[in-house]
Amino acid sequence: MHETGLAIEIHRIARAVADERGGGALESVTVAVGDLAAVEPPLLEFAWRAVVEGSADAGAALIVEWERARQDCASCGEIAERAPGSWLRLCPRCGEPLRVTGGDALDVLRVVFGDGASGRERGAA
Amino acid sequence: MTEVNVREKVLAANASAARGLRASFRDSGTLVVNLISSPGSGKTTLLEATARELRTRLRLGGLDGDIATDRDAQRLRDAGIPARQILTGGACHLDARQIEAALAEEGERLAGLDVLLIENVGNLICPTSYDLGEDFKVALLSVTEGDDKPFKYPAIFARAAVTVLTKADLLPHVDFDLDAVASQIAALNPSARVLVVSARTGEGMDAWYALLEESLAEKRTAVAVAAAAVPA
Repeated sequence: MHETGLAIEIHRIARAVADERGGGALESVTVAVGDLAAVEPPLLEFAWRAVVEGSADAGAALIVEWERARQDCASCGEIAERAPGSWLRLCPRCGEPLRVTGGDALDVLRVVFGDGASGRERGAA
Repeated sequence: MTEVNVREKVLAANASAARGLRASFRDSGTLVVNLISSPGSGKTTLLEATARELRTRLRLGGLDGDIATDRDAQRLRDAGIPARQILTGGACHLDARQIEAALAEEGERLAGLDVLLIENVGNLICPTSYDLGEDFKVALLSVTEGDDKPFKYPAIFARAAVTVLTKADLLPHVDFDLDAVASQIAALNPSARVLVVSARTGEGMDAWYALLEESLAEKRTAVAVAAAAVPA
């Protein structure tokens, strides 16, 4: 259960992106979470709400895009079937071990924020 | 409203600290192993035996992550090597910045080691995601935990270069199928090495000591080759 620490990092990264551009409150942050990242999206969303609550970014949405690991069998090619909540280890057709690649993403993809104080002043001028 | 596309790793700050640690461990020729397992699988006991066996030949040091108490670091100090406890205060894993801070505070005591043994917080899930600048991760699984664990906690067994099956002296008393575990680990991580040990009786421990000594020698050779390849 390290989702709180991750939510704090996501907030820090998103805030830095907005601050560099003179932006205001965060509207939404989109993150990619891979199959193998050992992160549960509902727990991450819960932690996110706790982290932004009481800050200027309260109410900002966290959007999770799930990235699947790719499974390949040397004989049968890419295997689309999945084990519940994870990946398969053995090919369902021939029983050989599957090669698993990708699925380790844990990235901030997109940050959406409102106008900052300076932006609003420019708009009013 | 402004939309900015970034592609920044959530753990970028940890990755950056880990890169710094890895460079410094390369410069000092220190082999660093990150031990990960559930609580009670025998990490500290394995390291106590390792300290007693190797301390006359190698300069060893330990960093022990725990929620509370400095019991583990004390056990390693009692086994004759310098060790520092890192208390995470509830966090389920060690991160690279904690390693940096602990090494800075220990100063000379943990500088220029041959082998730094990092004992992570007892947890099979979260520590897997945090690079500590180590040369490799070691997963421990005790035979009393059950032989279905590699497939139940695949991330750690897929990423650990070495899995040590501990408490082998208890094998006659438990239903633990060594072959089944070895084939699960091979399916998750074909290049993983699997050792079967009992730190209590010493069974299989020579292979573990040899692995550490060989890995240290390989690292130093690789560093020397890389240094020789740099044009003057």
